[in-house]
Amino acid sequence: MGMSDETEVKKEAAGTGEEEARVGVFVCDCGSNIQGAVRCADVRDFAADLPGVVSAEEGKWICSVDFLNRMKASVQENNLNRVVVACCTPRTHEKLFRKTVAEAGMNPYQLEFVSTREQVSWVHRTNQDVATDKAKDLVKMGVAKARLLEPGEEIRLPVGQKCLIIGGGAAGLTAAAAVASQGYQVYLVEREKELGGLLNKIGTVAPEGDVAAELKATLVDAVKKYDNVTIFTGAKIENIEGYIGNYKVKVSVDGQETEFGADTIIVATGMAEIDCMGQFLYGEDPNVVTQLQLEGMLKDGAVQGKKKNVVFIQCVNSRNEQRGCCTVGCSVSVKNARAIKQADPDANVYVVYRDMITVKEEYVHLKEVMKEGVNFVRYDVEKPPVVQKADGSLAVKVYDVLLGQEVELPADLVVLTTGFCGPEGVSDLRGLLKVSANADNFYQEQHIKLGPLDFAAAGIYLAGSARNPKPMKDVRDEGYGAAMRASIPMTRGFVEAEGIVAKIDHTNCIECGICSKKCPYGAIKLGGEKGKTPQVIEALCKGCGTCAADCPKECIQIVHFTDEQLMAAVDAALEENPEKKVIAFVCHWCAHGAVDIAGVGRMEYPTPVRIVRVMCSARVAQRFVQHALDKGAAGVLVAGCEFPTCHYITGNYECKDRLEKLRKKLDKKGYDTSKVWEVWLSAAMGPKWVATQKEMVKALGLE
Amino acid sequence: MSEAEKESVLIVGGGIAGITAALNVADYGYKAYLLDDTPSIGGLMARLDKTFPTNDCSICIEAPKMYEVKSHENIEIVANADVRKVEAVDGHFKVRVLKRAIFIDEEKCNACGKCVEKCPVTIPDELDARIGGTRKLISVPFPQAVPNMNYVNILCRTGKMRDKGACVGGCVVDCSQCRECGVAMCVKACRDEGKGAVMLWQKDQWLDLKVKSIIVATGVKTAPLEKGTWGLDVYPNVIDYMNFERTMNSGGPTLGEIVRPSDGHHAHKIAWIQCAGRGEKGLNYCSKVCCMVAAKQTIITKEHDPNVECAVFYNNQTCYGKGFDEFYKKASSLGVRYIVGKPFDVTEDPETHNLTIRYEDESTGEIKEEEFEMLVLSTGLVPNERNERLAKVLKIELDHNGFFKEAEPLSKPLETAVPGIYLAGGATGPIDISESVAQATAAGMKAVSKR
Ligand SMILES: Cc1cc2nc3c(=O)[nH]c(=O)nc-3n(C[C@H](O)[C@H](O)[C@H](O)COP(=O)(O)OP(=O)(O)OC[C@H]3O[C@@H](n4cnc5c(N)ncnc54)[C@H](O)[C@@H]3O)c2cc1C
Ligand SMILES: Cc1cc2nc3c(=O)[nH]c(=O)nc-3n(C[C@H](O)[C@H](O)[C@H](O)COP(=O)(O)OP(=O)(O)OC[C@H]3O[C@@H](n4cnc5c(N)ncnc54)[C@H](O)[C@@H]3O)c2cc1C
Ligand code: SF4
Ligand code: SF4
Repeated sequence: MGMSDETEVKKEAAGTGEEEARVGVFVCDCGSNIQGAVRCADVRDFAADLPGVVSAEEGKWICSVDFLNRMKASVQENNLNRVVVACCTPRTHEKLFRKTVAEAGMNPYQLEFVSTREQVSWVHRTNQDVATDKAKDLVKMGVAKARLLEPGEEIRLPVGQKCLIIGGGAAGLTAAAAVASQGYQVYLVEREKELGGLLNKIGTVAPEGDVAAELKATLVDAVKKYDNVTIFTGAKIENIEGYIGNYKVKVSVDGQETEFGADTIIVATGMAEIDCMGQFLYGEDPNVVTQLQLEGMLKDGAVQGKKKNVVFIQCVNSRNEQRGCCTVGCSVSVKNARAIKQADPDANVYVVYRDMITVKEEYVHLKEVMKEGVNFVRYDVEKPPVVQKADGSLAVKVYDVLLGQEVELPADLVVLTTGFCGPEGVSDLRGLLKVSANADNFYQEQHIKLGPLDFAAAGIYLAGSARNPKPMKDVRDEGYGAAMRASIPMTRGFVEAEGIVAKIDHTNCIECGICSKKCPYGAIKLGGEKGKTPQVIEALCKGCGTCAADCPKECIQIVHFTDEQLMAAVDAALEENPEKKVIAFVCHWCAHGAVDIAGVGRMEYPTPVRIVRVMCSARVAQRFVQHALDKGAAGVLVAGCEFPTCHYITGNYECKDRLEKLRKKLDKKGYDTSKVWEVWLSAAMGPKWVATQKEMVKALGLE
Repeated sequence: MSEAEKESVLIVGGGIAGITAALNVADYGYKAYLLDDTPSIGGLMARLDKTFPTNDCSICIEAPKMYEVKSHENIEIVANADVRKVEAVDGHFKVRVLKRAIFIDEEKCNACGKCVEKCPVTIPDELDARIGGTRKLISVPFPQAVPNMNYVNILCRTGKMRDKGACVGGCVVDCSQCRECGVAMCVKACRDEGKGAVMLWQKDQWLDLKVKSIIVATGVKTAPLEKGTWGLDVYPNVIDYMNFERTMNSGGPTLGEIVRPSDGHHAHKIAWIQCAGRGEKGLNYCSKVCCMVAAKQTIITKEHDPNVECAVFYNNQTCYGKGFDEFYKKASSLGVRYIVGKPFDVTEDPETHNLTIRYEDESTGEIKEEEFEMLVLSTGLVPNERNERLAKVLKIELDHNGFFKEAEPLSKPLETAVPGIYLAGGATGPIDISESVAQATAAGMKAVSKR
């Protein structure tokens, strides 16, 4: 299948990197913001003499509309193919300048940003000479890198309009209807003979008491009304391979195989109760049942008026060493206890609990149930309840925390509120989809806060209790949400990567596959004759640089952040007085955010640091650090996002790991490893960045 | 779709729910208007320190989304604006929006801060006042604000600040242009910079939009307490959980040092009272996030200094989400004391400003008391007070608590009684960030779908 980049549409941007570099430098005064601490005219004159520079200009506000027009004119008049701006911060202004030079016909990726405000004038306000020298250094670094910049291109991968949905419970049905309503082809694959999932097994749906069967009928009808939905029930997913826009799926029903292509996938495989065998006499006495069995019994009318004494035991297999709260158990017990009590007001219903977790309005229901006479007995995790059988009858013995004594509750029925796990078969699917799941087989979302419905790999989305147990209402929300996530690339018709992507030169490649294994986005596929040749699917690459830093043969480069470019900046910084300078590799996201906050807060700090920006700390190869030391740097600092945050999932962990190993290696080679520093910053930690600078300067004797 | 026929969606509220909805509908190809009635988007999340259950730094993960909104070709931010009139016509909504003046030329200001230096009037910060936060009458909403520019507090323009040092004379602008209070040092400072972005004479503006759908994402706020409840606003070292969140935050007024408002000294023994806003007169529901917020706050306090004693008075642990129970266990394992019981009385030692809490220990029934150096009240989440007016304008219903009402939560989730108006995030009730994001994505799907 198409492992190569052939399927990718490249939108070639103007300009090429082949011709000789003609650099234009634009130095901003930012009113008195930079000009107040840095002699900007000196910086401009200095820049004009740097190799490759054909024009250098100073502006009061280079981001003003007037000056942007001036910049465009200059690009054209001077035939510039590289631009360096020395001003505020790339985090807010890079896009603006890229757009401007692009309008003038230049390749936008051949712009380099130098931060003379946040990194110089706002933080070194006391000595104009020192500040001006540092600003010159930064511009020199910027120009050195800019001369080597290659043109970038936007990379697009076409995506069609076919969506595979795995799992036909509430989540899958909701998503199927939403995707189908847009006219896209849906393949809904359900393992059971019936659609509906848990909706087939439960009676009513708390908190409103909707009838599950009715809800199921509504959801199924909403899907079946579309011609563009193909439903497979009693079906097994045999195989899935490929990537977004290009999946090949094999499904079998009763031994008959069907193959089709899909562009996106929604995983909605739901959850199952954890087996209680052997606990609380479950499996030994038929009157010990799980919550799900009780739902069935209630539907059949087998409990109401027939079981006088019912005891619910909460948090079975939950909130222990292995896992947390089951999320739905408390409200399910409230629902079912109430059903039993309402059918037979003389019934003795006990809920033996640890904490009653009832959020929002559920709390009101809880209070009502208490009023209606359902009894609640709180137990301590250290003294769990015990189910006993004597003379054929069951009893639950438990230490009641609130009464301060042990009680014995006779029971005709004991209901175990057991925890949940992913259903059977998750391990197989995980392998096919190349996604991860936790120990309970609940899938791992891309980001627990901001990417709950995505997987790390583009093209696969997640909905419902397959992620973690949750009430029906949330399952429905997520079904719509996952449909949206899948619909975006199908509606646009493509996914797109910024020009900053990995490129592999196969000349020295030993086909070890490390790059493919390390890539957090599954962007490197192994193909070729032996299935071992790495290929970057550029549209999926986010440009973190993990692969490039870890490739043992140094075959991989990241556009705009190549070894050569980054080292050119380092060399420029260390050309003069390297023993007085600290090279800092700083990630674009949180660490650079902290640097900027130090600037915005006008926090004064020592001047030796020279920042080389990388997208992710994972880009920092061991050789970079060693190179800077070889060139005589007083110290090297690597700054990345504070754990556990990383914009490339685990880049900072990779980097930290690598630094550990590097220190040992350098130590053996006789380097002074006390020169190698690291700091992990949140984007609010300006003060910590400042403190680190002060500590380093002190420890390295640079004061 | 060509620009002319591009359909639009209006999103009211620029918190994480609004931001997520906007990015989704914009990526889908619709135009999104993201409206907030404050000068910046970001909502509560922009002001939090870390986020449970992973302790990701809040602004670190939200700010990139905020920049993405700012630079997205399909999104227009409408800040400092109110929705004033909405009419349903031919399957669309005609919307009148009042964009209140911020007295700044948005094209020109880049938050350089020269005006802020010169402004003579300092006022208590709206969020951080209790822990000593202040701001100038002209200031950026917060450092990572989007749009990133200064705004002039309306207090400046209503003349109420004269006795606080406003109107010092020597103005560079004509007083008659300047309603009552002609400070104008900001105007001068900005002109001296060569920008001329401060415009104290700026007028409110009306905008007319035509949109296909509306998503209401107006969020939650922390429940206010009556003055004196648990000593709040009487004893300086009693603060609420939002104040504590800001105390932990490097971007807050204490630069992340966990210090007491009374003397600025580090606190060594801190108590949290959970469900502090519930009870007879208070909330009749569980706010869902406070138990996790307390776990987070104690964990971070312990990370700052493991020797700080932390005690949490609670009744039920609400750890209903993925990884939440584990998070609570982590707090316990760090030595945070969890005490089942409800305090009934807080008194202060006027010398030390320490606080004595009297409570009934539920596990023994005993009445006990204990002294703490600082007290944090987890007051709960309540609907935004602006909901009522918005509900009237949109002709949709609020529930009895004041959150927006989903007409049929199960069969038509996130829909209101008016077709085309959808809900997401805290607007629907107490909620955490990940649920807000899921809902906002879902509401986005509905907003672009056929009706
Ligand atoms: C006892 C009990 C009582 C409950 N009561 C309530 C209540 O009162 N109120 C409330 O709001 N919520 C309640 N819930 C929760 C609610 O039922 C669930 O959240 C909801 O049904 C989950 O829907 P789902 O689509 O995510 O998963 P499921 O309903 O589990 O559906 C998943 C589907 O995927 C299929 N599948 C799994 N693996 C594969 C595979 N490899 N290939 C193909 N198909 C596959 C399954 O067969 C199943 O049909 C209750 C849950 C339980 C267990
Ligand atoms: C102290 C504290 C700590 C928390 N910690 C966590 C945590 O660690 N993890 C977690 O998951 N959750 C946490 N939360 C909850 C989290 O803050 C909310 O889930 C989240 O902010 C909800 O996002 P939202 O966008 O719905 O609302 P909000 O963030 O409240 O945003 C709503 C936006 O709408 C605007 N707005 C309101 N009314 C109008 C109107 N009428 N017109 C125009 N605009 C309007 C507001 O100005 C605001 O910008 C915490 C909450 C608190 C109080
Ligand atoms: S740069 Fe990062 S995202 Fe791209 S292929 Fe390498 S590891 Fe994967
Ligand atoms: S890590 Fe380097 S050598 Fe190994 S397969 Fe990838 S490109 Fe080839």
